[in-house]
Amino acid sequence: MRPILLQGHERSLTQIKYNREGDLLFTCSKDHVINVWYSHNGERLGTYEGHNGSVWSVDVDSKSEFLVSGAADNTMRLWQVSTGKCLYTWEFDTAVRRVAFSEDDKQVIQITEQRMGFQGAIRIFNINQQDQTNQSAQPLYEFNPVGSKVTVIAFAKDPTTIVTGHESGKLSLWDVRKGEEILTKERAHNDFITDMQFSPDRSYLITSSKDKSAKLHETKNLTPLKTYPTETPLNSAAIAPLRPYVLLGGGQEAMSVTTTSARQGKFETRFWHKVFEEEVGRVKGHFGPINTIAVHPSGRSYASGGEDGFVRVHHFDENYFRSRPYGDLGEVED
Amino acid sequence: EDAAEESSASRELVAHRRRLVDEWKAWRAKIRSDGDFVRKVERHEEATEVIE
Repeated sequence: MRPILLQGHERSLTQIKYNREGDLLFTCSKDHVINVWYSHNGERLGTYEGHNGSVWSVDVDSKSEFLVSGAADNTMRLWQVSTGKCLYTWEFDTAVRRVAFSEDDKQVIQITEQRMGFQGAIRIFNINQQDQTNQSAQPLYEFNPVGSKVTVIAFAKDPTTIVTGHESGKLSLWDVRKGEEILTKERAHNDFITDMQFSPDRSYLITSSKDKSAKLHETKNLTPLKTYPTETPLNSAAIAPLRPYVLLGGGQEAMSVTTTSARQGKFETRFWHKVFEEEVGRVKGHFGPINTIAVHPSGRSYASGGEDGFVRVHHFDENYFRSRPYGDLGEVED
Repeated sequence: EDAAEESSASRELVAHRRRLVDEWKAWRAKIRSDGDFVRKVERHEEATEVIE
């Protein structure tokens, strides 16, 4: 499973995303740039330039037509995937920390940071798919959650419901039409929720946290399903299709202090059995904490983005698909 | 039983894992039968279809 190293960012990675087909990989970074790569060979297809600050978050629609990004320059931008053209820029008072498309591609959700006397806000925008440069500056819904800051956000299955993860470790479900919390799990985690990703059908989701654990939750009622405890703060977690695994990444910077000259970094992506809550393996590589992990939608590869500025794409070999560490017992379909 | 011996795992651990798998499968079956969560048709699967 030799990785392909994608060298195109000058600073740490913040988020990476495959498109629905999995042929393209979008990466964003503190270097202000968004890159797109062919996932099979790591060739860079293009860049999306225009942001004047760290790009915190990126998402691509299901047709690979539009890309949306949020950045520290207080803007959210809509891009044409095929040309790299910026179609529209929304401006806010504070940084845009997270962006995500709805499952039907018709809406985008975002969070802006609470800072300098400005409240944190959740906004939902309709995306005009026909007249692409003519987007509505005003959100369809906007509300200000009180209490712990929102760190991650996504639409649930139904686009009227959203899931938020918070600085305190709280996980909440919201009705966007009323701007009201439907359900709250105050102690979903004990610390900052750093990432949230769904299963392919969105019926469950995984969260990672600075509390050194990742957890699986049922989407519609946020019931905790599984816990994956580690010994390091986690920055990202992903659910692998095809195999019964979840992938976790993180690490403390102090760990990189080493007296030996290692050609391979010590920071590891951890594979856990999704149902048994047992660690099954680790993949080394990065020279700094792993900030973001994404799995190919068909489960054939995965990519990790590090504090070291590298993206590593790993194509799983036949062993990965053939191996049965728990016999046939450990094989679950989804 | 063979699998249990080969992996030299204790009987309890195998029973525990079996219970976890059964619980998971029952929950997944319930999710599927509720019908609220249906995965959207994958475009890359469509793409492999051969039309003559």
